[in-house]
Amino acid sequence: MRAQRMRRTPLSVILGLLFLSVAATSKCSGKYHELLLQLRHQANLMQDTSTLLDPYMRIQGLDTPALKDHCRECPGAFPSEDALRGLSRQGFLRTLNATLGLVLHRLTALYQDLPEAQQLVGLNIRGFRSNIHCMSQLLRSSSEAETPEPTQPSPGPTPPPTPPSDAFQQKLKSCRFLCGYHRFMHSVGQVLREWGESRSRSRRHSPCRAPGDTALARPCRGGARRTWPFRRDRRLMPRGQLPR
Amino acid sequence: MALFAVFQTTYLLALLSLRTYESEVLSEPLPLTPESLKVSVNSTCQCLHLQWTVHSLAYHQELKMVFQIQISRFKTSNVIWVENYSTTVKQNQVLHWSWESELPLECAAHFIRMRSVVDDSRIPESGFWSNWSSWEEADAQNLLGHDPLFVFPKDKLVEEGSNVTICYVSRIHQDNISCYLEGVQIHGEQLDRSVTAFELKNVSFIRKKGTNVFCKMEQGGVLGGIVLFVSKVLQEPKDFSCETQDLKTLTCTWDPGSDTGLTKQPSQSYTLFESFSGKRTLCKHRNWCNWQVAQDSQETYNFTLLAENYLRKRSVSILFNLTQRVHPMTPYNLFPKNVGATNATMTWKVHSIGNNSTLLCQLELLTEEKVIQQHNVSIKVNGEYLLSELEPDTEYVARVRCAYTKHFWKWSEFISQKFNTAEAAPSEAPDVWRNMKMVSGHPTVSLFWKPLSKVHANGKILFYNVTVENLDKPSRLEVLSIPAPARSTELTLDQCSYQIHVTAHNSVGPSPASVIVVSGDPGNEEVEKGRVNGTEDGFSVSWKPQSGDATGYVVEWCDGPQDLPCVLQWKNLGPNTTSTVISSGAFRPGVRYNFRIYGISTKRMAHLLEKKAGYLEELAPSDNPQVVMSNLTSHSFTLSWKDYSTESQPGFIQGYHVYLKPKAGEQCHQAFEKTVLPEDSVCCKYTIDNPEQKTFVVENLQPESVYEFFVTPYTSVGEGPLDAFTKVTTPDEYSHILIRIILPMVFCVLIVMIICYLKSQWLKEKCYPDIPDPYKSSVLSLIKSKENPHLTIMNVNDCVPDAIEVINKPEGSKIQFLGTRKSLTETEFTKPAYLYLLPTEKNYSGPGPCICFENFTYNQAASDFASCGHFPVTPQAPPPQLGPLTSPENLLKALEQNYMNSLGEIPAGEANLNYVSQLASPTSGDKDSLPTNPPEPALCSEYKMQMAIPLGLASAPPRENSSLSSTTLLGQGEHCS
Repeated sequence: MRAQRMRRTPLSVILGLLFLSVAATSKCSGKYHELLLQLRHQANLMQDTSTLLDPYMRIQGLDTPALKDHCRECPGAFPSEDALRGLSRQGFLRTLNATLGLVLHRLTALYQDLPEAQQLVGLNIRGFRSNIHCMSQLLRSSSEAETPEPTQPSPGPTPPPTPPSDAFQQKLKSCRFLCGYHRFMHSVGQVLREWGESRSRSRRHSPCRAPGDTALARPCRGGARRTWPFRRDRRLMPRGQLPR
Repeated sequence: MALFAVFQTTYLLALLSLRTYESEVLSEPLPLTPESLKVSVNSTCQCLHLQWTVHSLAYHQELKMVFQIQISRFKTSNVIWVENYSTTVKQNQVLHWSWESELPLECAAHFIRMRSVVDDSRIPESGFWSNWSSWEEADAQNLLGHDPLFVFPKDKLVEEGSNVTICYVSRIHQDNISCYLEGVQIHGEQLDRSVTAFELKNVSFIRKKGTNVFCKMEQGGVLGGIVLFVSKVLQEPKDFSCETQDLKTLTCTWDPGSDTGLTKQPSQSYTLFESFSGKRTLCKHRNWCNWQVAQDSQETYNFTLLAENYLRKRSVSILFNLTQRVHPMTPYNLFPKNVGATNATMTWKVHSIGNNSTLLCQLELLTEEKVIQQHNVSIKVNGEYLLSELEPDTEYVARVRCAYTKHFWKWSEFISQKFNTAEAAPSEAPDVWRNMKMVSGHPTVSLFWKPLSKVHANGKILFYNVTVENLDKPSRLEVLSIPAPARSTELTLDQCSYQIHVTAHNSVGPSPASVIVVSGDPGNEEVEKGRVNGTEDGFSVSWKPQSGDATGYVVEWCDGPQDLPCVLQWKNLGPNTTSTVISSGAFRPGVRYNFRIYGISTKRMAHLLEKKAGYLEELAPSDNPQVVMSNLTSHSFTLSWKDYSTESQPGFIQGYHVYLKPKAGEQCHQAFEKTVLPEDSVCCKYTIDNPEQKTFVVENLQPESVYEFFVTPYTSVGEGPLDAFTKVTTPDEYSHILIRIILPMVFCVLIVMIICYLKSQWLKEKCYPDIPDPYKSSVLSLIKSKENPHLTIMNVNDCVPDAIEVINKPEGSKIQFLGTRKSLTETEFTKPAYLYLLPTEKNYSGPGPCICFENFTYNQAASDFASCGHFPVTPQAPPPQLGPLTSPENLLKALEQNYMNSLGEIPAGEANLNYVSQLASPTSGDKDSLPTNPPEPALCSEYKMQMAIPLGLASAPPRENSSLSSTTLLGQGEHCS
C-alpha cells in the first residue's frame, strides 16, 4: 500500500500540473449551459467506438467473432457509471480529468498501432480536459460551497508491473483498455446528461429517493463513496448500441 | 669423448621420456566420457543449449573427438534426435552445442545424453565409444505459471512460406479445446495427454501486426493465444546502380522490393560496402544511399549492397569506373535573348564537373509539344545558341539537357523555357469573296473574307482595310477600315465597275491585297442547273471549263439549310480545275445545299457558270402535301396540291403516289395498281412521276359511292409518311337534273303565293264572299209581302235561357265564372263542373215537366239519357273552345256555337265530339265541391245547350264518390225562358 501511495503521489502532482497548465493556456467560457453542452457533445464523440476501438481491432486482426468476445473491459479498469454518479460535481470533474490523463498516457503507447486515430483522439481528450477545467472553475466560482473531495484514484489504466507479456496478451489488453475507455466515456455522457441546466445544484448530481418513494428519482445508494464501485458486469456494446 | 658421452646420455633420457609419454597418451585405453553435461532452454529460438567438458584429457592434450548426442521427448525411450558432433577438444575446455526444436520446448520435456569417441589419427586404437552420460532433462513447462491453457511458441518470427509447429498445453485435461488460425479452426495431433501440436505449412503474410493463433476451451471461456509474425521474404535489391553528378559524391539507387517490417522486426536495412577501400556505410533510406568519393583519385569502385533483416541477408554488387557514371546536373539559367520575328538566341549555364570538363548539351525547340529543331552544343560552363527559321508571333519552348562528353552515361534532366517570337506583317492576302444583290434599286455588294491562318497572320490582326476604286470613271479611292474580327462588310455601288482591295493589318503592317472586281449588274443570269451527289467525304462538284481565259474558279454555297440565314462559304480553285470536293462539318443529311460555280476572269470579275443542288444524303419526305379536292361529280373528282414546295424537302421529289380506296368489291382502275398498305388494307395506287404535276383527276368512279384518297410524295429513298385518308362521296347521277327542275318550280310556286296574298281580298270576294244578312235578304222582303206578314226571323239573342250549368273537368285551367265574377283556382276544380241551365226564380214554378230540345247530333251514349236527369259527363270543350271559356264572352260564344251546331251546322269533322244538351237540374249537389255561392237547385231545365266534349272523356263516367265541383252561374239577362 505504501508503495502504491508513493507511486500515486508524483502522479497526482503531474496531473495537477497538467490541469493547471491547461487552465493557464485556455480561455474559458463563462456560460455554464454552453460548457455543459460541449462536454456532452465531446463525451458522445469519445464514446464512439469507431474512433478508436474498431480500427484497433481491425488492424490487429481481433475483429473475429471468437476474439471479439474476449475484448471486454477489464473489471475495475475505469470508474463505473454508478461510481461517477456518486461523486459530487467537482469530484466527478477531478476524477474525469485524472482518468483521461491516464488514458492519454496509455494512448501514447498505442501510437505505433494507431498513429492517425491516436492523434485525433489525443486532441479530443485534450479539448475535453480543457472544458473540464473550465467547468470546474465555473462551479468553483458559483455559490456552491462544496467540501473539497479527494480525487477518486483511478486504478485502471496503469496496471501493476507484471512480467512482460507476449504480443497476443498485449493485443487483448489494449483492446480491453480501449473498450473500457469508450464505456467510461459513455458513462460520463450519461452523468453529464443528468446535470441540470443550472449550475447551483445539490452536492450530488441528481436527487435520490427514499426506499418507499415511488418517484422517478434514482434510488439512494449507501456506501457509494466507501467502496470503489467499479462496474463488473457491463460490457461495451457495438457502436450504436451503447446503453442509453 | 666426455662430450659424446653427455650427448648419448641426454639422447637416451629424451628417448626414454618420449617413450614414457607415448605409453601414457597413446597406448592407454581412453575413457574420455563427457562430463558435467548441462542443458538449458532458450525459448526465443526454441533451442536446447548443451555444455559439457572432458576432464580426462591430459595437460596440453588436444584431441579430435566425436560426441554422439541423443535427444528424447516426453520420455527417454522416445529418441527423436541423434547427432554426431565432431570437434577438437582441449583439456578443461567447455564444449557447447545447440539444437533447435521444431516443437516448442515449452510443450514437452526433453531428455539429452551423450557419449564420445576419439577420432584422432594419432591414436590408432581409439575407435571405441565411451559410456553414455546420464540423461539430462530440459523441461520448460516448469517455468509456466498456473494458467489453464498455454499456446506456444510466443511471438515467433518466421518467413513467409515456412512451416511452423504450434502446440498448446492444457492444465485441465479437456478434449473440448479448439484452436483457430485467424478465426479459422485448425486441427492438430495430440502428442500427450495435455499437449496437442499443430503444423502450419507454408504460412503466409497477413499483416504487420502478426497472425493471430489462439485456442479456447469451450467451458469457462479460457483463451490462450500467440501472435505468429510472418515476414515477407527479403528480396534481392534490383536495379542497383551508382552515378555521380559532380565526381565528388556517388549516389547509389536500387529497388528495395517488399518491406519486411513487422511489429516484431524492423524493416530491412541496407549497407553499402566498397571493397577496394574497405569502407562501409549504413544507408538511411530504403532505396538510395550517398557515398563520398575519396580524394585519392580512386577511379574504380566495387560496391556491394547488403540488405538484411532478422531472418535473411541479400546482397548485390557492381563494379564501375567513376568517370563512366557521370550524370550531369540539370542546366540552369536558360533564357532567350534577342528574340526577333524569326530568330532568337538561347543562353544557359551548367554545373562544372571536375576541372575543365566539357559537356555536350542538346538544345531542342518545340512548338505545340512537337520537337521542330534539335541542336548539339559542346560547352564548359556557359552555353549559347542562335535559333533561326522561327515563325513570327509563335510560342516556342526551348529546352536543354547535357551529358558528360568524356564518357556518355546519361543525359541530365531538361530545363525548359518558353518564349514568343515577335510579330511580322501578314504574309498572305485574305481570301475574299462577294455577293451581289439589289437593295432598294441599288446594286449592293457584300464582301466576305476569311480570317488569316496563324501561319499567315504573323500576329494579331487588328483591322481590315477595304479600298474601293471606280474603274469606269476616275474618282477618289474610298477606304474603309473595318476592325477585326469582322469578317464581312457591305458596299452600296452604282452601275459602274469597281475594283476592291482588301488588306489585313497587324501591329507591324498590312498584308498583300486581295483584289476583286464587281460591276453594278447583279448578274442574275440564267445558267445551267444540275444536281450533285453527296458522299461521305462531301459533295463532289464538277463543272464545264469556262471557254476563255479563266484565272480560277470559285464554288459558293451556304452551310445551313435553306430556311436559315445563309452563312456564305466559298472555295477558290485554280484555273485548270474543273471539279472539287466540298466538305464541311456543317453538312447534314436531308438538307438541300445549293452550289454556285463562278469563273474568275482575267479582270478579276466573277461570272456565274453553273448551279448545282444536292443532298449529302437523301431522306424520305417528312410530310405530305395539303390536298384540295374539287370538281366532284358522280364519276370523278380532282385533287390538287399546288402549294407543296419540292425545294424544301429532304430529298429530290421524284413524283407522287395517289392512293385510292375503292368501294367494297370494286376493282382498281386500269391506271392504278393494287397495293397493300402497312395496316394490311388493300387500295389502289397511282404513281405520278413528274414532281411538277400537282393535280390529278380521279375518274371512272361510281355514283353515290364513298372513296378515300391520300397523296404522298416520294424521293429516291421512299415515300412520305402514311397519313389519314380523306373520304369523298360521289353524288347521285340524276340529282343535278332534279335540282334543275325543282328549283324553278319552287320559285314559281312562291311567286304564285305572293300574288295570291296580294290579291286575297279580290279572291275572297270572288271565291268565298261573306254570308248575306237575312234581314237584308231580298227573299225576306218577298216572304213578308206575299205569304205571312208576321213571319219574322228568330234572333238567338231574344232567347233568354233559364239557367246555364257548366260542366267541366278541371285541367288546371283557370275559369272565371259569369255569375260570381270570381276566379277559381285549380284546386277548386278537382271535380267535374256542371254547367246548368236553370230557370230564373221568378219563372220558376216548382217541379214540372221538362222541356227538352232534342239535338240529333248527340252520340249514342249521350242520347240514351233522354230524360232530363243529371248524368255526369266530364265536360271538356274542344280545343278551340276550351281556352276562350276562361272569359264570359268566349263562354257565350261557345254556347252560341253549340247552339248553332244543334241547328245542324256541325261540321263533319266534329262528329267525334259528344254534345251534351241542357241537363236536368241537379238533384243533389256535391256539397263539398260547391262554391261559396251555390246556385239554387232546379228540378228541370227547359233549355238544352250542347257542349262539345272529347269522346274519350265522355265515355269515362265519373265515380260515385268522386268529388266534382259544381258551380251554378246565374245572371238576370242571361236566362233563357
